[in-house]
Amino acid sequence: MQSSSKVTLLGFIFLSIAGSIYSDSYEIKKTWFGDPDLQGTWTNSTLTTLERPTNFKSLVVSDEQARAAALIASQGNDAYDNYLKEGETPKKGQDVGGYNTAWMDPGTKLLKVNNEYRSSIIISPKNGKLPWDAKKRREYFSKDVRRKFKRTDHPELRGVGERCVVGFGSSGGPPMMNVLYNNNYQIVQSPGYVMIMAEMIHDTRIVRLEGVHLPESVDPWMGDSIGRWEGDTLVVETTNFNWQHVHRAGLRHYFAISKDAKITELFTRTSDSEILYRFRVDDPSLYKNTWVGEMPLRFQSDKIYEYACHEGNYAMGNILAGARAEEK
Amino acid sequence: MPLIYRRVFIILSLLGVLSVSATDLPKGPNDKPDLNGVWQVLNTANYNLEAHSASAAMDLVEGPIVPVPHPSLLALGAVGAVPAGLSVVEEGTIPYKKKALKKRNENKENWLQLDPEIKCYLPGVPRATYMPYPFQIFHSEKAMFFAYEYAGAVRNIYLEDPGEAPMDSWMGQSWGYWENNSFVIEASGFNDQTWFDRSGNFHSDKLKVIEKFTLLNEHTMDYQATIEDEEVFTRPWTINMTLYKRIGKDAQLQQFKCVEFVEELLYGKWRAK
Repeated sequence: MQSSSKVTLLGFIFLSIAGSIYSDSYEIKKTWFGDPDLQGTWTNSTLTTLERPTNFKSLVVSDEQARAAALIASQGNDAYDNYLKEGETPKKGQDVGGYNTAWMDPGTKLLKVNNEYRSSIIISPKNGKLPWDAKKRREYFSKDVRRKFKRTDHPELRGVGERCVVGFGSSGGPPMMNVLYNNNYQIVQSPGYVMIMAEMIHDTRIVRLEGVHLPESVDPWMGDSIGRWEGDTLVVETTNFNWQHVHRAGLRHYFAISKDAKITELFTRTSDSEILYRFRVDDPSLYKNTWVGEMPLRFQSDKIYEYACHEGNYAMGNILAGARAEEK
Repeated sequence: MPLIYRRVFIILSLLGVLSVSATDLPKGPNDKPDLNGVWQVLNTANYNLEAHSASAAMDLVEGPIVPVPHPSLLALGAVGAVPAGLSVVEEGTIPYKKKALKKRNENKENWLQLDPEIKCYLPGVPRATYMPYPFQIFHSEKAMFFAYEYAGAVRNIYLEDPGEAPMDSWMGQSWGYWENNSFVIEASGFNDQTWFDRSGNFHSDKLKVIEKFTLLNEHTMDYQATIEDEEVFTRPWTINMTLYKRIGKDAQLQQFKCVEFVEELLYGKWRAK
């Protein structure tokens, strides 16, 4: 990256935050039409959660702490898969769970930035916590028409992932978050565009470079993304969020993005095998301050297969029909 | 353009005889024709690949004199009517085996219940190409990726033969290569759940589709797809049509995630009263 644009970027997104420093020695390859090359298949699977768990006191953690976190996760998988002893059957009413861990792929390690393990994806605020504004949050959701109903009353009240509309937990973003499985992305570039497809629900964002935002009346799922290059960093700005895509719940995180939010993402290729992905959320309807996160997207040589969700969504009908049967 | 003229045009174009020779085509990566852009057909193939008259609706019931729209479609009036179209099948009709033809006709009669498009299911191949929505090709030196507006369907075209698909899927597995100035895609690994159009034309999970995309000039592309499925057809058959490049400020792929639009249809009966 050229030093002048680095100053712009750091000033732009990180303000006074100690952001990541990456190697200037890596020479970023270019596409056939001359843009920095971000293409390939990438993953953001990691044990690191959006917010910092209470057992960690700092953003950067030691190698020993990272090893311990990986061990605990692996032992947790064993306990989850083998919660019954050989020959034992579930007790009446006992939750038998949805998946065993063969179907999960949340990652096995804490994420690393600058070769240091991290305890949270959030780097600002410094405490690694979402800067919710409790009063505004209450006000915002008090106006949500969905509050009038039970969650089993109508299909629109289920999570967007359960509806197979977009991936749960903000998998397709923005911001693109790691979830329980399918933490894979494909990026393809063409002149004027960067296409980012998330494996989850084949959610595809087509980032228009040097474009202008859609009019306010158009509010696609995942918002409307336009981008530009600042040096070798792709800057993507997303607005026009869909009001139904407010809840971003994964198993290990919950946040919300209001329809009026602005999210800025930075994609910087730092090596053949990594893109540093950074994002800033400006959403004064729900948060006291902006919040900033970062994580690496790691190169994958494996293929992404079709994730057809809606086509086999028997659960939605069963959830609703089950609730109606219970009411009889 | 009649098929024979179009073929002559393509051959002459490729030979460089016509003014728009291969060397005049927009150049993409690796010196190949540039397929990047937002493309769309201008035909009625999604209603019916075969020749069809205009009609009052896709689903008709008996009327006193002539068939009339199914009660479920009646309120749509002219909006629900079907525009006429000529066959895009090279030999006019699809060479069904006898039993398969019966199934096609049953599909057509039960269109409202059975067409996967009505339920917003992934469209499959080649139907994705001629849905009445645009699609965008991302053609780079490393990848060929198709993003379809309808249902947010996607296809990543592998550029090396990945071998047999590990599982069946709605959009299948595709791999492609250049044959002179045509980009050829071999697609297989399909399930048997998609249709070719709204008229019940269908296939089994033995389907293989060989597609050929040939840029004719800056704004048009020839699309040819040969369909092989020995369980359903007596022989391979081929469809042919033109893709038009969307230009201008509105040449932007929009989002048509139709899943939410069919929730009432699929789940409305289980809403709380």
